[in-house]
Amino acid sequence: MTQEHLSNNEFFTQLANLFEHNRKKGHGSVYLTQKRMAFDTEGYPPSPTKVADDPLWDTHPENPLPIIIRASNNKSDKRPGTDRKDIDKIKLSTIVQPDQLDAFYVRYAEACRAGMSGLKKRDKKKGKKDKKKKKRGTAVETKG
Amino acid sequence: MPFSRSDYSPISPAKSYLALRPAPIPSSRYPTTAIAMPYFKTSTEWYEQSSLLLKARPTTTRITSKYTVLKPTPSKIKKRQKYLDKQAAKLADPSRTSSPPPSSAQNPEEPTTTFALKTYDPESGTCLQYETTKAAEVGRLIGSLGRLGRHMAALPEVLEDLSAPAEGTGLATPRIEDDIKVGGMGEGKAGGTGGGGGGGKKKKKGKK
Repeated sequence: MTQEHLSNNEFFTQLANLFEHNRKKGHGSVYLTQKRMAFDTEGYPPSPTKVADDPLWDTHPENPLPIIIRASNNKSDKRPGTDRKDIDKIKLSTIVQPDQLDAFYVRYAEACRAGMSGLKKRDKKKGKKDKKKKKRGTAVETKG
Repeated sequence: MPFSRSDYSPISPAKSYLALRPAPIPSSRYPTTAIAMPYFKTSTEWYEQSSLLLKARPTTTRITSKYTVLKPTPSKIKKRQKYLDKQAAKLADPSRTSSPPPSSAQNPEEPTTTFALKTYDPESGTCLQYETTKAAEVGRLIGSLGRLGRHMAALPEVLEDLSAPAEGTGLATPRIEDDIKVGGMGEGKAGGTGGGGGGGKKKKKGKK
């Protein structure tokens, strides 16, 4: 568990590779996790007195905390009779500082949308079936 | 916006995460109440409940998203094929002409692809889940992940409301502008409120 955290930029390149890998393989999963980075940062772990005084101490920390984003694929083992191959687990992680959070998530959303290409595309045929409904739908859209 | 529990419906399964927290002993390793692990029908519901959970337990709660592509098993392929045959037979039957044509002739060997979100707090054992198969939802869901990320980072919520609509609506062009705004938000609140106020209103309209 001595793996280095990647920089945000490096993380996005690796994440794109991970999704690409998944696409080439045609099956498999990509796991993404996010969590507060409560340790290895200044001021943490909190002093025991702080915890004893206020059990809700972590709901109002003095300074914003960074969050950690992890990404991994699923490990798979070769199995006779199937096209499964030995694939090592790929693990990525990056730490996002609070002031970069919003910018990070904009890129994150783009990376995920590009990567998750297997999901169902919007069904355009449905709207054409019922013209009245379609008209109503567009009217609502322009309003909103 | 102050945190008020009355905003949410009383029937929701996980309305009072703050109440779940054991007050005197902060280091309780085991869930003290019944474990809640619902699948939500809408992503907004998932988001609201997750944000409540994060407010109560910001340090231990984690959000896992899983994008998975599964090849169907041979039995599943058979089942799908059977269904397709049935549909074809129905169409051929002249007495049933009124029935609408099948919207999508699915290839029986097409893989099942899903995107699942899971908010889990190991201390209380709460697990909130949402699953989708639609590509259109991904942008919005990552947007909510970002807003929940602000809870995790303990950033103020006011700013979150302003930056949220731009990410949520998934418009392509204003995104870049917003990116810049977001970047500068750390220094001055005033600039953020001026730019984002209109966006907030827009989103409310769209929701209704």
